[in-house]
Amino acid sequence: MTTTILRTTARTVVPLIIVVSVALFVQGHNQPGGGFIAGVLTTTAFALVYITYGIDFLEEQVFDRTVEDVVSHLQHGIVADYRRLFVVGLAVAAGSGLVPLYWDVPFLAQDHWYVHGVPLWNKVHVASAIVFDLGVYFVVVGALLTILSVVGAE
Amino acid sequence: MTPNETVVFALVFLPFLAAATVPLVFRALGERTAYYAAAVALACFALTVSQLGRHGAVGVPWIPAYGVTLRFYVDGLSLLVGLLASGVGVLVFTYSGAYMHAEPGKRKYYATLLAFMGSMLGVAFAADLVALFVFWELTSVSSFLLIGHYEETAPGRYAARKSMLVTVGGGLFMLVGFLLLHDATGTFALAGTPDALLTNPEATHAALVDAGLLWPVVALVGIGAAAKSAQWPLHIWLPNAMEAPTPVSAFLHSATMVKAGVYLVGRLRPLLVGEEWTLLFATLGLVTMTVAAILAVAATDIKELLAYSTASHLGLIVAGFGFANIYGAEAGAFHILNHALFKAALFLVAGIVAHEAGTRRIDELGGLRHELPVTAGITVVAALSMAGVPPFNGFYSKELLFEAAVHAAEHAGGAAWLFPVLAVVGSVFTFLYSVRFLMLFFGETPAELGHVHRPPTLMLAPPLLLAVLAAVVGAVPQLAVDTVIQSVFESASGSHKHMHVGLPTHVSPALVMSALAIGGGLVAYPFLDALIGAIRRGLAVGPLTPNWYYDRLVNGATATSAAVTPVVQNGLLRTYAAWALGAAAVGTLAAYAAASVTLPAGVAVNLTLPVLLVLGVGVVAAAAVSVAPSHVAGVLTLSILGFMIAIFYILASAPDLALTQLVVETLVLVLFLLVLDKLPSFYGEARRAVVARDAVLSVVVGATVTLTVLLATSAKPEGGVTTAGLVERATGPGGGGNVVNVILVDIRAFDTLGEISVVAMAALGIVTLVAMREQGETQ
Repeated sequence: MTTTILRTTARTVVPLIIVVSVALFVQGHNQPGGGFIAGVLTTTAFALVYITYGIDFLEEQVFDRTVEDVVSHLQHGIVADYRRLFVVGLAVAAGSGLVPLYWDVPFLAQDHWYVHGVPLWNKVHVASAIVFDLGVYFVVVGALLTILSVVGAE
Repeated sequence: MTPNETVVFALVFLPFLAAATVPLVFRALGERTAYYAAAVALACFALTVSQLGRHGAVGVPWIPAYGVTLRFYVDGLSLLVGLLASGVGVLVFTYSGAYMHAEPGKRKYYATLLAFMGSMLGVAFAADLVALFVFWELTSVSSFLLIGHYEETAPGRYAARKSMLVTVGGGLFMLVGFLLLHDATGTFALAGTPDALLTNPEATHAALVDAGLLWPVVALVGIGAAAKSAQWPLHIWLPNAMEAPTPVSAFLHSATMVKAGVYLVGRLRPLLVGEEWTLLFATLGLVTMTVAAILAVAATDIKELLAYSTASHLGLIVAGFGFANIYGAEAGAFHILNHALFKAALFLVAGIVAHEAGTRRIDELGGLRHELPVTAGITVVAALSMAGVPPFNGFYSKELLFEAAVHAAEHAGGAAWLFPVLAVVGSVFTFLYSVRFLMLFFGETPAELGHVHRPPTLMLAPPLLLAVLAAVVGAVPQLAVDTVIQSVFESASGSHKHMHVGLPTHVSPALVMSALAIGGGLVAYPFLDALIGAIRRGLAVGPLTPNWYYDRLVNGATATSAAVTPVVQNGLLRTYAAWALGAAAVGTLAAYAAASVTLPAGVAVNLTLPVLLVLGVGVVAAAAVSVAPSHVAGVLTLSILGFMIAIFYILASAPDLALTQLVVETLVLVLFLLVLDKLPSFYGEARRAVVARDAVLSVVVGATVTLTVLLATSAKPEGGVTTAGLVERATGPGGGGNVVNVILVDIRAFDTLGEISVVAMAALGIVTLVAMREQGETQ
């Protein structure tokens, strides 16, 4: 499957996809985008890496770890990291919901503010919902990559 | 005086808290965790004692939207059951310390037993139907774990599953009964508030009669109570439950679990009592009392004998509560205490015999009084009390039952005279099996019985204490009545008559019946062996025993699943998909048909040329997928369809949906590329029948989806959620220009949280499946 054309393309395209996904995530509150879409797009970037360089590339070349079999892959390898990612995502999403309770507003209530005087932008619109959305993003990326790498390793 | 809220909550939740800490405590104390648990039980006992004499309810709101509260009600009946559960709990934990010495799984054992005690206390004090049901099912679940303590053995698993199916199944009937009760009266509150059911029993009864629900409620609650209290024919789980360690049997079968059903009958008696009530419960109780006593006579194992005897005595209590006269309430209330005292003692004796003699078979035991003199003394008191011989405590409650039966018969006449007859017949057999148990300690010692050890003091002390208490109640019954039973009687009857119990001073019908029962037993005793033979021959006929039906049902269900599984789940993805999609479509269509929905008239179709073009390309692509000659062609044409849908979303001004569709489509395409070279490049020749089946399935699924979309988009939700309203909320308080995203992360954030949890669970599921397969766990 791997050809020089694919490798070269992937090397350029993967960072672009990730940048685009981050952009989609950040602009989600006011324009098309958001955690779910950004998460799926990020996963696509990883899937492209898997196709181009093989299933063990990330593990062996990027993180410099050795994988023996599927089970150790699940328990210590990159799958464990993905798993941690969606656990963190769930915790962030649920935790962000708990914060409003401090001010006696309901679970998962959100708010938004305008921050003035930021260099370059001058005025920035900040929504508390972005924390929850970040949780969504982590869960989507973590869960999809877990599934992808486990099933892909088969 | 109203009860102390903190104390009542503490005594119910302390055991649960203690159960949660057992793993930690066990690490520090090891086997001595038994005494930690005993201390917890003792604390609960002390807290219960501190509430003696108080009356009233305490509680906090639980689900205010449905009027459900976590309320506890303190009165005579709940205090008696609470005292028995925690008091016998202390003795059972102490005894366990010695008994469980060499047994496996002690950590699980103590944690579950504590949780079980807490659930039982919850049942006793709960004053809300929903809370009562929750604690009720908690006792079922924890007893399932306790009965299945020896999880490696097949009988242990069989017994645990049986008790679970019977008691939880019965609990579900009871739940329906409670919901009907709520439907007729509009409240879940059982007691303690001005509008509670027990505060105005007559009004509740009238409301039920008006709604025509009296019979259903009595019957449904009756099934729940009968399953829990092992009434015929749902008694079948009780003898099997003897697979549990003996302390568990003693606890479950004397003081708790089975008393839950009896408690419920006593608790609801003021609400539901009437002709229907007597017909159902008096008959049920007396039939159980007699049938179970006959079965106990034929038992081969001492614990089996005690199990049937438990069912028989619970029958006596249920029958007592079943009679509408006050003697019935007196009999039921008094026998709860008497039975708990002598039966817990006898179970602990059975544990000592099994532990020290090494066998539980009745034919292999005899003459144990030489080796176990103290145990023999305990057994004399407890067994004679069980037999209903004066002046032991069981005699008094049995006299009250006879009196109630005679009164009911005089009142109703005719067939009601069967009540006293049945009661006497049951008592004859009760006498017989009591003597049979007693004879373990007398007569000749069988030659094959090996050396019998002396039991440790800690195992001997609990049954001794119980026997002494039983003897005291027998000697001065009025003392027990004045301290505890009077208020129980008032809870169960609603009457304030002063209850009087004592040895009979003149000849009454009840006394004659007692004499008949004991005399009959003495006459029949020489023919015991012939009798046992006859009963066993009857039991050999399968269809005569409820067990036969249970086994048929369970094995039949298992066999049906085993036969269906290879058809539905044959390991081929297409079969799974066909069944799942077909079932979903048929189920949805059936639901529409049942709700008789009608298609909205005049669906506005507003198609512009670009939309038509895009959809046209999509249809062509869909058709092309089904005739694609290879996987690559199929995947690519499928993508065309997906991207056309994305463009359609753009044309319909839904950029977020379009974006989502695009990225998902891309990801799917990339994933297909990942697996493509693993698949065969060309499809095989499809069989005509398979093609036809798939075509029909596709049409049905497509039609279902189309119909659902039409119905869903034309539905107008009540409460006025409108597009304009959502837009306003999103852009105003939500502060976001992307309405879809604000709905996802703010307005409906709780839904999103649920959805991402599902995604995470799916991933975990796949990881678990793969890991399990790799480790070779096929079961």
